[in-house]
Amino acid sequence: MGFVITTLSFVAIGIIACLCARVCCNKGPSANLFHLTLVITATICCWMMWAIVYLAQMNPLIVPILSEEE
Amino acid sequence: MEWFRNLPEMDLMRSEKMTSVQLIIPVESAHRAVSYLGELGLLQFRDLNDDKSPFQRTFVNQVKRCAEMSRKLRFLKDQIHKAGLLASDLPALKPDVDLEALEVQLVEHEHELTEMNANSEKLQQTYNELLEFKMVLQKAGGFLVSGKSYETAEGTELDENVYPSDYPDSVSLLEQATQSGPSNTSGLRFISGIIAKSKVLLFERMLFRATRGNLLFNQAPADDLIMDHISSEMVEKTIFVVFFSGEQAKTKILKICEAFGANCYPVPEDLTKQAQITQEVMLRLSELETTLDVGIRHRNVALHSIGVHLTTWINMVKRENAVFDTLNMLNFDVTKKCLVGEGWCPIFAKPQIQEALQRATFDSSSQVGIIFHTMDPVESPPTYFRTNTFTNAYQEIVDAYGVAKYQEANPAVYTVITFPFLFAVMFGDWGHGICLLLGALVLIARERKLSSQKLGSFMEMLFGGRYALLLMSLFSIYCGLIYNEFFSVPYHIFGKSAYKCRDASCGDAYTVGLIKYRDAYPFGVDPSWRGSRSELPFLNSLKMKMSILFGVAQMNLGIMLSYFNSIFFNNSLDIRYQFVPQMIFLNSLFGYLSLLIIIKWCTGSQADLYHVMIYMFLSPFDDLGENELFWGQRPLQILLLLSALVAVPWMLFPKPFILRKLHAERFQGRTYGVLRSSEIDLDSEPGSARHHEEEFNFSEVFVHQMIHSIEFVLGSVSNTASYLRLWALSLAHSELSTVFYEKVLLLAWGYENILIRIVGLVVFAFATAFILLMMETLSAFLHALRLHWVEFQNKFYGGDGYKFKPFSFAALADDED
Repeated sequence: MGFVITTLSFVAIGIIACLCARVCCNKGPSANLFHLTLVITATICCWMMWAIVYLAQMNPLIVPILSEEE
Repeated sequence: MEWFRNLPEMDLMRSEKMTSVQLIIPVESAHRAVSYLGELGLLQFRDLNDDKSPFQRTFVNQVKRCAEMSRKLRFLKDQIHKAGLLASDLPALKPDVDLEALEVQLVEHEHELTEMNANSEKLQQTYNELLEFKMVLQKAGGFLVSGKSYETAEGTELDENVYPSDYPDSVSLLEQATQSGPSNTSGLRFISGIIAKSKVLLFERMLFRATRGNLLFNQAPADDLIMDHISSEMVEKTIFVVFFSGEQAKTKILKICEAFGANCYPVPEDLTKQAQITQEVMLRLSELETTLDVGIRHRNVALHSIGVHLTTWINMVKRENAVFDTLNMLNFDVTKKCLVGEGWCPIFAKPQIQEALQRATFDSSSQVGIIFHTMDPVESPPTYFRTNTFTNAYQEIVDAYGVAKYQEANPAVYTVITFPFLFAVMFGDWGHGICLLLGALVLIARERKLSSQKLGSFMEMLFGGRYALLLMSLFSIYCGLIYNEFFSVPYHIFGKSAYKCRDASCGDAYTVGLIKYRDAYPFGVDPSWRGSRSELPFLNSLKMKMSILFGVAQMNLGIMLSYFNSIFFNNSLDIRYQFVPQMIFLNSLFGYLSLLIIIKWCTGSQADLYHVMIYMFLSPFDDLGENELFWGQRPLQILLLLSALVAVPWMLFPKPFILRKLHAERFQGRTYGVLRSSEIDLDSEPGSARHHEEEFNFSEVFVHQMIHSIEFVLGSVSNTASYLRLWALSLAHSELSTVFYEKVLLLAWGYENILIRIVGLVVFAFATAFILLMMETLSAFLHALRLHWVEFQNKFYGGDGYKFKPFSFAALADDED
């Protein structure tokens, strides 16, 4: 459940970032498309990174075994 | 698909549309027109006189004159630099003289300066000699007093050498010393002089051998350093006095003095005469000093007045040189009254160029206007991307590997984000990321000041990539938060850990481990993993699988870009026989592996993915047993294997045969066309017909396709494995960070002594700064770059174009500096 919620929040942040980019630097349709591409790529990269690490820890096969030092 | 075609064109995705143009310029407005075009900087001239040597070109004299003027300017600049005057940093003003007047002025200045230099040389030499004479007088006087005691028993007086009271300005006094002196050979005589300290020992030995030991050599070091006018350095000198007897010895000694570059100065025996001569010498020295000073000041004034204009003049001469070089690229037409030029310009720039040419016609009051029209291209156009300061760094990174072919997809569009991101995957530590961010912000804040300065080559690169560095640092902070490493220390920023001890005593924590009692840690790697014994197995598995997932994603993006290229160039052959089999092959093998990874994570199955993948090939029909991750896995695997096997000949065979058929069809009706001359072209593309070989070399095309397919098939395995460097470098960074933290900082902090703690802190700071921040940054930068250049770009990038280099005065200034 946490996965879906956080994914949706990533999507929301992405949409907000796109709107911000459109508001701040509106320089014609070709430039807008470029900025949109950049924002979408960044959002997808960041989401993938988070999702991979989250999924890997959902059902782990090993657990932390503390080391003897302390 | 229709929607794709109807999207507006994206900035920077494909090269600006270029057009080949022709200019016909009347001679009187040629110079002005080219200057205005240089200021505009949007037209690239093609060299029409390629085959001519530099001396056969039209404007060779003007180029020679410009070269001569720039040589003079360099000489003046050197002189100013040597005189120690600061070159004025005033911005280049609009020049107030024209070229011919400047030429005359420069000749005058150079002449004046060379004269002044020669004069001051001479004066300086005389000054040096007088200085040496003064020192010899001072020190040798002391020897001579004791030398008087070496008088022979007969009481013969020492012969005095006759010294004229007036001291001539000749180079050395060797003639003086040889001329003067009575010719009688009896009695002890001496020669006094000065020699460089480094040669004294050799000199003494030489003299000893030459006179067979019949001499007395006294030396004393000089008090001051003397300027050696040959090497322009201050050298230490030693004053010597040689006592000898006999005429032959004298000639020998004088010759040896000359050979060693020792200057001999006559010193009078008599004390009063010594004092007199010393006084005279001091007087002349002070006179010379004042003269020299006046001379230097005069020269400095002249240099200063030149220096004010120097930058302007240098720029002007550079510009004129460039204009004449460009004019040399144009051809005279038949009437010899016009210059014809060809070149490339972007389509959007045509109105601006038109306007500049009109201004040139008007300003040069020419009767005939300049003709500017497009013409059919003879070769492939250059590639031009309009970048701003932000995207410039990334475009240069891409161009370093290969400039995009005209109008093919530009990988820089995605590189802007994926390059800093992959860097961050390998660098991930939010403490280090913050340091990088501070550095990037400093560079950006001082942008204006640094861009006008001249920087060293390393700083220049760093400054040029400041926006890339900014993005790299931001992504590093993000990845550091995900890896949960702050200088290798994890924090519980996002809530409690998902693991706790099995029971209150935490007894089995060291044997069996903790237990997961909550949902996974919401953002990033759980902080409980750091320091545990099973940390590395877990993180290695995580990072390796992450690398594979990123790799497959980026490679798919590359293949999609090749699809967009094919659509743009209307190459349906490529879509059907290259894009589709490539997608099928890559995804049925490595896309399937990615799917298995995700399913294994979601279900928590114990299946061994190595086993699954290998036995998918070795024994696909066998029962999977405990390696079954989902229902229907075996038939799916068989299907995917078959598709991959089918895809290989699909990308290998059809395309060459179809190309041959198409070629035969196109030239079928033109068998008679071969006999006609190639000027008569019925086709609509004269440019391509000129290039088109009449015969279609099937074997060449087939081999090319085979190489391409094999490269893809084998490359898909090797490239996927290559992405594992993301894992390797992030592991190295994390381990280095841990070592420095635990073995340096914590170790030093464990002691109570404040000195050890400070030393530990300092060592930790230096190690972090140099090894982790500098070396690791460069390393991760390099590997992220390689991943882009090779693994991402070889899926779609041609990279065999050439860059648009317009004739521009602004580019000149950057070039030569």
